[in-house]
Amino acid sequence: MEASKPAPFQFVSRGPISRALEREGTLAFWLLAPTLLILTVFIAYPFVLGVWLSLSNSTVGEPGHFIGLANFYKIFADSIFRTAAYNTFVYTAITTVFKLALGLWLALLLNRHFRGKSWVRAFILLPFIIPTVLSTLAWKWMFDPTFSVFNWLFWKLHIINSRINWLGDPDLAMGSIMIVNVWRGVPFYAISLLAGLQTINPDLHEAAAIDGANRFQRFWYVTWPLLLPVTMVVVLFSVIQTFADFQLVYVLTGGGPANATHLFATYAYQIGIGTGLLSEGAAISLAMFPALLLVVVFQLWYIRKVENR
Amino acid sequence: MMIEGARWRKWLWFYLPLGAFIVALLFPFYWMVVTTVRPDGELYRPWNHPLYSPFWTSHPTFEHVKELLLETLFNTWMLNTMFIALAATLISLACGVIAGYALARLTFRWAGLLGTAIFVTYLVPQTLLFIPLAEIIRDYRIGDTPWALILTYPTFLIPFCTWLMMGYFKTIPKELEECARIDGAARWQAMVYIILPIAVPGILSAGIFAFTLSWNEFIYALVFLSSPEQKTVPVGVTSELIRGDVFFWGSLMAGALIGSIPVAIVYSFFVEHYVAGVTGSVKG
Amino acid sequence: MARFTRRKFLKASGAGLAGILASHQAPVFAQQSTVHWIKWNDFVPASDELLRKTMLPEAMKALGIKINLETVNGNDLQPRVTSAIQSGSGPDVFMLFNNHPHIYSASSVDVSDVAEAVAKAQGGYYNVAKANTMDGKKVLSVPWAVIGAMIAYRKSWFEEVGFSEFPETWEQYHDAGKKLKAKGRPLGQTLGHTFGDAPTFSYPYLWSWGGKEVDEKGKVVLDSKETLESMKFMQSFWKDAFDEGGLAWDDTNNNRAFLSGTISATLNGASIYIESMRKADQYQTEKGAQMKTDILHSPLPKGPKGQFGFHLFQSHMVMRYSKNQKAAKEFLGWIHTPANYEKWFVSQKGYSTPPTAQWEKHKMWDEDPVMAPFKIAGRLGLSPGYAGPPNRKSAEVLTKYIITDMYAKGVQGMAPQEAVKWAAGEVSQIYSGS
Repeated sequence: MEASKPAPFQFVSRGPISRALEREGTLAFWLLAPTLLILTVFIAYPFVLGVWLSLSNSTVGEPGHFIGLANFYKIFADSIFRTAAYNTFVYTAITTVFKLALGLWLALLLNRHFRGKSWVRAFILLPFIIPTVLSTLAWKWMFDPTFSVFNWLFWKLHIINSRINWLGDPDLAMGSIMIVNVWRGVPFYAISLLAGLQTINPDLHEAAAIDGANRFQRFWYVTWPLLLPVTMVVVLFSVIQTFADFQLVYVLTGGGPANATHLFATYAYQIGIGTGLLSEGAAISLAMFPALLLVVVFQLWYIRKVENR
Repeated sequence: MMIEGARWRKWLWFYLPLGAFIVALLFPFYWMVVTTVRPDGELYRPWNHPLYSPFWTSHPTFEHVKELLLETLFNTWMLNTMFIALAATLISLACGVIAGYALARLTFRWAGLLGTAIFVTYLVPQTLLFIPLAEIIRDYRIGDTPWALILTYPTFLIPFCTWLMMGYFKTIPKELEECARIDGAARWQAMVYIILPIAVPGILSAGIFAFTLSWNEFIYALVFLSSPEQKTVPVGVTSELIRGDVFFWGSLMAGALIGSIPVAIVYSFFVEHYVAGVTGSVKG
Repeated sequence: MARFTRRKFLKASGAGLAGILASHQAPVFAQQSTVHWIKWNDFVPASDELLRKTMLPEAMKALGIKINLETVNGNDLQPRVTSAIQSGSGPDVFMLFNNHPHIYSASSVDVSDVAEAVAKAQGGYYNVAKANTMDGKKVLSVPWAVIGAMIAYRKSWFEEVGFSEFPETWEQYHDAGKKLKAKGRPLGQTLGHTFGDAPTFSYPYLWSWGGKEVDEKGKVVLDSKETLESMKFMQSFWKDAFDEGGLAWDDTNNNRAFLSGTISATLNGASIYIESMRKADQYQTEKGAQMKTDILHSPLPKGPKGQFGFHLFQSHMVMRYSKNQKAAKEFLGWIHTPANYEKWFVSQKGYSTPPTAQWEKHKMWDEDPVMAPFKIAGRLGLSPGYAGPPNRKSAEVLTKYIITDMYAKGVQGMAPQEAVKWAAGEVSQIYSGS
């Protein structure tokens, strides 16, 4: 990026502050200080406090005392916690696969030239832009057992005879939540992957085509490897967010029916804030951390492996 | 990319899937709009009722919107959320821009470590921290005030702004600062007067992304705020429009729709910047 | 350097402006003696209107206290309490359900002065009121009302399957339900996590078979032959007779389902009937008559070991963090004076039963025979934690929906012994903790 050469500076005096900030280290310190302050006070400190809470028996209004790992034993013995843990992993895995596949497909479609392309590109990001709970409320209404538009549609198409209990059937509810999550995430994947696609030199495709590669081979051997770095970053972000998801389940089912759709976050909320058992809630929240760490470390390792290929 | 083959192939492989995606992605919004203007009598018809007509209504009404704006605290929530989002965005931009500059342009001993530290904070999502953070909020006496959110939202906005700006700064040639310094500028002056103006598009992208993320936040707002006058739109709509027996679906959808408008407007004016923000974050 | 300072000044004044704007967000409460009262969204909207439009302005005139009434979805009361206690500020008077006052006892103000005055003047509290609000050391909250839970049912539909009177036992109810479901008119019941209709079914159902959480000495006895029998019956009962979507219902779904004619009977407060009267022409039977003429109420059927009920209990707690404790107590005393309370009670049309015995004689109960069963809801009715004393542990079992979940798991396919053992394990954990 070329900028015109700026006019020479006319700085007559340089105060002591300016001089002190000349040193890169000092300047860097001051530039980073506000950030570090906020992150320390509102992330590092609460994290430590959360650990302490989980090792004590505080309940609402009553600060507790240290009880060691008792909370963790309790929650691991709790079958609802185990369900929530299982749900969270499955939920994250399945939605990520679908978001990636559909997002990639959409990105490939958007990578062509067609009339109205910029409009389409702008509109399809809407699910991702609009505050999650608001769009989820619309889905909740669409899934309502008595008034669902999907039921009407399938009924009119003679696919079903009686209603589908989208959010009330324990087996189906998780699936419905996944649908909403995928709906919300596909645009993000699509736009990010599209940007990645656009950095791939079209000459490479032409060269491959000349060498006799068909559509799929071109994709697999040219597009996909070059897209991998962007893909991995997108997946990394998305996995962290999805793993810690709260809003979708809270709005759609509240964790029900009969605790069938709880995730770590919603169960922590129900126990900690709903029932007032703060320490147990903190323990459930913290249980997310090792899993997240593992997932992230694995992904970073994979990214490094891919980059060094 | 060339599309070989007959016209019908183009329809099958391109227009049809693209159309399907567009319908699937935008249908819920259409549904929101229709529900908002649908009168109550029609709204509460079961799906197997003979007169169920989901896709349009012949008697549009604004009663739900009126109810929402006049009989609930929706307007207050909008103001609250706007204020909180703007304040949090400003703070996060201020911190993120200078932090990004420091990490991208200055060499110092702990650059790598601090960069990683900021990344690591992403591993501590809000749903992990909300319980202990609630205690801290109370101890600082900012519970049930907008400051509880204005000071905590930057925790997830700053890392993102920082990376975005890092990526952006890296694309600006170093020569610019060197020229300014040769001309007599102090280091910080080179940053403020030379680099920042050039980085405005990046700052805009980061700002818009931060703004939409602030509107989207839910659990902190849910846990740290309790009075109805303090609530943000997402929390207010989900908690206050369900009264007794009834989910007021008409007003709920009106609230969802109108609550989405500020973000949609900001987004529409700055689509390019938003997209650049998204792509910048994943490339950086 | 001039530019630098100017910029600094702008930043500072901007921050100042923001500060001023922010302080405008501060609650108006600070200005006069104000009491922030939070209660659930009444299922009888007329009562909340009465409060807002008539009674609270009267209170202001009489006491000089402005009452800020906030109503929230019942299921949100508990998270709100935790939030408020956690943030050290919030409503001064909190409505609480059932035995929840025991959970928040550390954050409550002793209201014995208010409660004792009411009890003396109005014939004494029912046992269930005392159990839920007193822990032997102080009075945690002032009893407010009991919401009777009865089965609302469609008279004509039950007649069609041969029941001119409501089924007396569970077996008969099963029989009726099976026939009704075959006609597309199943019974409706929630087994979800909702504060009203779920526990008011699952607990008395358990008790009627002889099952209980603890015995009189506080020993956990949930895992028993009786509980197992109740579970096995429930599993077939559910499949044969109920709308299986009930697993996900909250307290409003059964109302909607009943009023739109998709279920034939459901356990509920009187709100279904009251709503059908409020909009008499909107709710019609399939034959075109007003639905309110086809609705009757009955207590839950008998089980092998008796007939039981669990009625939602409400009380008001004054919070310890409140800066308006005196005003809050004054207000509670005022609203419980017979003249004032009566106004509220009448507007409820029998949906709520007062917590003191004197009101059983009130003439309102004689106006509508359909509502008669609700009159004595306060007198009957046991508390969770039966047969032990109601305390914090039974409150925890209640808020964790363990009993409801036990049946929910069973009807979802878990083996009966497993479901019972699971529930017993959870209850034991709670009762064994400190």
